[in-house]
Amino acid sequence: MVELQNVSVTYSGGVDALNNVSLKINDGDFAFVVGSSGAGKSTMIKLLLKEIDATSGNVIVNGYNLGKLKKRKIPEFRRTLGFVFQDFRLIPSMTVYENIAFVLRVLDAPLKYIRKRVPYVIGLVGLHAKTNSYPDELSGGEKQRVAIARALVNDPQLIIADEPTGNIDPELSYEIVELLKGINDQGTTILMVTHEHDLVRHFGGRIINITNGEIVYDEVVTGTNCDLLPEVELAQAMENAANLHHEYSMPDGDIEENDIPYVDDVIAAITSTAKENGGAEK
Amino acid sequence: MKISGIKYLANQGIENIWKNKMMAFATFCVLLISLLLVGISILFYFNMNSMILGLGNQNEIAVYVETDTPQERVDEIHEQIKNIENIDTVTYISKKEAYERMQKQISQGKEIFEYIDDYQFMPDGFSVTVVNNDQLRATVDAITRIENIQSADSSPQVAEFLRELRRVVTLVAGAAIIALAVVSMIMISNTTKASVYSRREEIQIMKYVGATDSFIRTPFFVEGLVTGFFSGAGAFFITWAVYRSVYNVVVAQGMLINAFGAGSIIPFAEIRIPCGLAYLLIGSLVGAFGSVISTRKHLDV
Repeated sequence: MVELQNVSVTYSGGVDALNNVSLKINDGDFAFVVGSSGAGKSTMIKLLLKEIDATSGNVIVNGYNLGKLKKRKIPEFRRTLGFVFQDFRLIPSMTVYENIAFVLRVLDAPLKYIRKRVPYVIGLVGLHAKTNSYPDELSGGEKQRVAIARALVNDPQLIIADEPTGNIDPELSYEIVELLKGINDQGTTILMVTHEHDLVRHFGGRIINITNGEIVYDEVVTGTNCDLLPEVELAQAMENAANLHHEYSMPDGDIEENDIPYVDDVIAAITSTAKENGGAEK
Repeated sequence: MKISGIKYLANQGIENIWKNKMMAFATFCVLLISLLLVGISILFYFNMNSMILGLGNQNEIAVYVETDTPQERVDEIHEQIKNIENIDTVTYISKKEAYERMQKQISQGKEIFEYIDDYQFMPDGFSVTVVNNDQLRATVDAITRIENIQSADSSPQVAEFLRELRRVVTLVAGAAIIALAVVSMIMISNTTKASVYSRREEIQIMKYVGATDSFIRTPFFVEGLVTGFFSGAGAFFITWAVYRSVYNVVVAQGMLINAFGAGSIIPFAEIRIPCGLAYLLIGSLVGAFGSVISTRKHLDV
């Protein structure tokens, strides 16, 4: 859960970045935060990551009151989150596997678990073939999928995605949001900051618009993508996605590679169903 | 943290050397040069000091016993002098030896000795060297106080000069070593900062995924430790090679050089172990802590 209570942020230069903002995002929500450059979106992200502190008001994330959080507790708090950045922020000297495994290393997870969990998550984002590749050998879309895999490998309560589609091709943007939607279906709260209105319009959901440091709009809207699939098939596709992610939370036994379904497969199924039904292209 | 976690971090540190080999090589070179500059300066100072002390030891005290002192008493005096603090060597010079020496010294007037047929008029004596030339005067006084001692002569001017020389050498060498150490620290600091700066994003990413400061620093510590260790080892072998060459050249000069106290140059075998340990220890510690300190600025995310 994310809660901002009358939060204001004024930078040292006297600039008011956020002005008395109150906001509550419940567990399991998927919310888009939109707004033009300089509106206060980045400040909000920095607040939620405990990079900066609010000048006034309370910021509560996953049960942590960030204003009262001691510096030594910040790592513990951040382990309850997953981050996806516009510029991917993968460690260039580590392979795809190592980048994702690093999060579990930080948690001091057992080696046996890391060896099962990481390939599994890599499979979820459809990058099995790139397991041993370095970030500079991947396309933008692939890098972002690695970033998403890294964000969800520790099964976080909340994933914060800051312009995750900002550096990738428009057609891949939909794929990335689909992926995040699929993760959200499993109960993970997703907060996605974007300025791509087409994307927001397409997917719909809760939309929070920040302008000049204030929330000017906060509503749940229906996305246009519902037109892509007849209602029954959409429900079926969502159910498939849900089944797909059912296993991903925390496997107990050994995982066989063939047991791991690919999100790509479901997305492909959704797209082909849409085409078959003559739905509008994205 | 589990043992596997510690092992992972140590491995990461070693892997990082290879992954960032250019920066690691730069750090290695800077550490190597710094250690060599400071190390060779310190060894040079030690040798200068040893040479001056060596010269001081050549400054003998000539002790004369009263002429009619019986041999038993001379032997007792010998023992008494030996027991005085700061005495290094005591060499007995008998009446006969003293007479022969005098004959050699007065080579121009050998005729005089034709009229002397006995050496009994010569006093028994001792040639005494001291451990610390700075306490020469006090030692001479102590010898003079012994009964039946006719005189004890030394050259206090030489001792004074050598003491002054040592003071100047210590000051100059000390200032040079401190200056070199400061320059080295600046060089090392800048290199490690540059090395860490090139990986600042990596550090920030680690912070975002919840890594603690110590988790991030440990690989940097290991990386700096290993690089510093090899720099220390390199500096030791270069010092060894250079030192041995110089030592052999000096020793080959033999008697000529001995006049300047070069006979007191310390053989490398005597300092090999402390020198090696100092290089390895200082190299490793400077490498490790230099690296860790440089990460501090980037950890505040």
